[in-house]
Amino acid sequence: MRRHAVLWSMVVLAVAMLVPFVIVVLNAVKTPAEYATGGPLELPEGVSLDGVIAFWDRVDFGEKLLNSAIISGSVAVLAVVVSVCNAYALGIGRVRGRTWVLVVFLTANTLPQEALVYPLYYLADAIGLYDTKLAVIIVFTAIQSAFGTYLLTSTLSGFPRELLDAARIDGASKWQALVRVVVPISKPTLGVLFVFFFIWTWNEFFLPLVLLISNENQTVPVALGVLQGQRLMDATMTSASALLGVVPAIAFFLLFQRALTRGITAGAVK
Amino acid sequence: MPQRLIAAVVAALLVGVAGCGGSDEAADNTFKLWHFEGPDSAMGTAWAEAIKQFEASHPGVKVAFEEKGFEQIQKTGSLAVNSKDAPDLLEYPKGNATAGLLSKQGLLTDLSDEVAQRGWDKKLGPGVDTTARYDERGVMGSGQWFGIPNYAEYITVYYNKDMFDRQGLALPTTLDQLTAAMDRFVAAGITPLATAGQEYPAQQVLYQLALTKADRGWVDRYQRYTGDVDFHDTAWTYGATTFADWVRKGYLSRDSAGLKAEDMGLAFMQGKNPIMVSGTWWYGRLRAQVKDFQWVSARWPGMTAGSSGNMWVVPKAAKHKQYALDFIDITLSPAVQDKLRDAGGVAVAPGAAPAADPAIRQLNDDYRALRDADQLAFYPDWPVPGYYDVQVQAVQKLITGDADPRQVLDELAGPYREHVASIGK
Amino acid sequence: MRAVRERGSYLLYLAPGALLVLAVVLVPFGMNVGISFTEWSGVGEPEWTGLDNYGRLLSDGTFWASFRHNLALVVAMAVLPTLAGLVVAATLVDYIGKHFGARQAAVLRACVYLPQVLPIAVAGIVWSWILAPKDGALNAALRALGLEALARNWLGDPDLALWSLMGVLLWMQLGYPVVIFMAGMSRLDPALHEAAELDGASWWGRFRHVTVPGLRPEIFVVLLTCTIAALKVFAPIYVLTRGGPAGATNVPAYYSFQNFFERTRVGYGAAIATVLTVLVLVLTAVFLRVQQRGER
Repeated sequence: MRRHAVLWSMVVLAVAMLVPFVIVVLNAVKTPAEYATGGPLELPEGVSLDGVIAFWDRVDFGEKLLNSAIISGSVAVLAVVVSVCNAYALGIGRVRGRTWVLVVFLTANTLPQEALVYPLYYLADAIGLYDTKLAVIIVFTAIQSAFGTYLLTSTLSGFPRELLDAARIDGASKWQALVRVVVPISKPTLGVLFVFFFIWTWNEFFLPLVLLISNENQTVPVALGVLQGQRLMDATMTSASALLGVVPAIAFFLLFQRALTRGITAGAVK
Repeated sequence: MPQRLIAAVVAALLVGVAGCGGSDEAADNTFKLWHFEGPDSAMGTAWAEAIKQFEASHPGVKVAFEEKGFEQIQKTGSLAVNSKDAPDLLEYPKGNATAGLLSKQGLLTDLSDEVAQRGWDKKLGPGVDTTARYDERGVMGSGQWFGIPNYAEYITVYYNKDMFDRQGLALPTTLDQLTAAMDRFVAAGITPLATAGQEYPAQQVLYQLALTKADRGWVDRYQRYTGDVDFHDTAWTYGATTFADWVRKGYLSRDSAGLKAEDMGLAFMQGKNPIMVSGTWWYGRLRAQVKDFQWVSARWPGMTAGSSGNMWVVPKAAKHKQYALDFIDITLSPAVQDKLRDAGGVAVAPGAAPAADPAIRQLNDDYRALRDADQLAFYPDWPVPGYYDVQVQAVQKLITGDADPRQVLDELAGPYREHVASIGK
Repeated sequence: MRAVRERGSYLLYLAPGALLVLAVVLVPFGMNVGISFTEWSGVGEPEWTGLDNYGRLLSDGTFWASFRHNLALVVAMAVLPTLAGLVVAATLVDYIGKHFGARQAAVLRACVYLPQVLPIAVAGIVWSWILAPKDGALNAALRALGLEALARNWLGDPDLALWSLMGVLLWMQLGYPVVIFMAGMSRLDPALHEAAELDGASWWGRFRHVTVPGLRPEIFVVLLTCTIAALKVFAPIYVLTRGGPAGATNVPAYYSFQNFFERTRVGYGAAIATVLTVLVLVLTAVFLRVQQRGER
């Protein structure tokens, strides 16, 4: 009985988290006229995909998806690699002054992006990277890996020493110890980091808006933003764009579930 | 082994940062054009036609058109115009804080010679050039031409005719009739005025009220810094106190403090409020989406907020200025201007024949009348960069009752004085 | 002697990350500090004004008010999600996961995490529909339940807007600690739990004495990163309230943005951003010190 009460309370929480998504879907399949007369909460009479199709064509959404995927994917991979290297030196290597090094790394994550915008724009323009995906990849790899460094350093500082010592006795170099011992054991955390980096980068709006000015380089959130802040915003098209913005993110999340689930099963087995 | 790998990663990063970023150099015969009007809007339709005509008259030139967002251009347009990747021609917001600022910083091409040569000033007629010309301080109204407007816009009053009929009311033509009508609606349990405090609508209503007691000199002092502005003079005081009265009498709901313009438009389109005081930019959408009641647009009694629309500007860094100028010329041709008008826009240089649709004719005739009587008063948030937010916050306080009219006017006065003091620096 | 060489080779692993942070963060931030001593509109030549901007900040009421609002948002984005996240994560892992299966737990976790995935521009639109005063979903639901008296203008009332915003941020933020804590719990030794269970400890007792202490590193990470995120919070405010009504939800990050891009007072915006950064750095340093004490 009580077990089910706990289960149901969790289900209620989950449903509450999902309500806004339902509202997005409802409005994405309405016609503008339905929305204009009924508002956002009326049930649609049928499924009209006109808004979705119109938005897709208007911003060439396929291209935006590809751009976002390239940028988020590169950043997620690079930032995980950089984070692992940093955390290896700080958490296991215990480099001198590591608290301060950590603080410096964290600055990357703490700075309000508004403070970096103008300098980054000027630097990018000066070295010919303004309006290139590479600029955004470099910037976000730095920002995300700063966070990853901090998280991994915390977890690696509690890494079982005896495992490392055993590897060393077997004659493994530092590099081999990292690749064969540290990385495999940290896999669940690395998987989580990868997912976070991917999704955070996917949803970044402000810096891509400033650094990627031409449409062929734009990312999904910037394309969504193009419709917003117009003096006239057609709400059905906005929801359609919202739906198109949510779907890929959910798809990735489901793909990444495997990486996250390992953590749970490890706790539940035995 | 590991050292070598790390060294390789570092080297790769350095190489990546050092160059190889730029992908393709703009082909020499590409005309790069940006604007932020939706494809179905009056401007969007007209300019699509202009692109067609340009391609026909410039064989071999490829038009690389990109649709942008208004906010994107407003916030980051200056960065693009200042970079090596500037477009040849783009639509840019008009006013001291936007086009004026760019002109002052020398980022825009001075178009004065072209204007004279191609006779654009004659086409546009008097009064429209105020927002197109900027002096060396970046203040509009005199100096060189830096932008060419294609359309105009102004604040008008939209009435839901069916709701007026149901109350047995005639459509108002004076402010007194308007308030009498609103009283009747309130008595019938209907909130008469749709507005929104989180964005531009509410501040424009206050400005409209102030304008009923204003003249051209007052507007010039406020918008072009031609003299001292007293925020407690008759006009401002009338605007703020009347607005507060309207809130108190229930002409507009206190809830509107947290609404956006879109919410206001929807409330009107759903027949929740019979009156909306807002810009002609709603016109096309109302025509397309209001199916179940009759509505009309009518002039605001007296001066009204309005001006030329956003403008074509040519960045200093543009590679094909000639193409840009040719394109502007096409957009001012009667054919394109008529197309803009017939799609529900306000044309600045239409052909000789009036519009076929009587409602559109009315809309455009109202504009002519306003222009010829010199009654367009720009917008309340124009004089100071970032004034928009100040106005939003101040008028929200009037709606929620957190401040009285006097305090609100003081709040508007502070940033204004500060800005005027810094001009010419 | 050997120890020194060891350290040295570990330093090599820091090189790529250090280079990135230098190029993307430290140098631009230095430039930002430089800009904060000038009067500048974003393009053209900055004009040196020394400490003027900072002087003006000290007497700027809006700036101080924005910090006060920010403290409330730290509660909503850091403190509450951490507490709630611990309970939810523990419930999912060793209650739902144990009694109903890992699959159910994973599905529930996915639902809780989903708001993190939602692009913020979209979240803004949806929540403004839900919280709309007249036909918003929340007020409509209250009316349907006969609680008309509780319906409010959630985002338009200066006394309520900050609370509404806190609610939305809690919704957005909750999934992040849940996922981190669940990953962290896979590190914990199940034997500890079983021992406590044999000793007759209740679920709550095990949660307090086994799970929470075991998750200490993760709790620190979550608290710190969420606090930093809360201090930097910008996008939700931009899409939901624009700092209004009447300035009730303005925060430093948004205020600096306003100065950068709306008032074109880049120098002043840079000064705000600099002050905010220094504050966050001090806080970070304090956090890390405390964490290291805890580890010893």
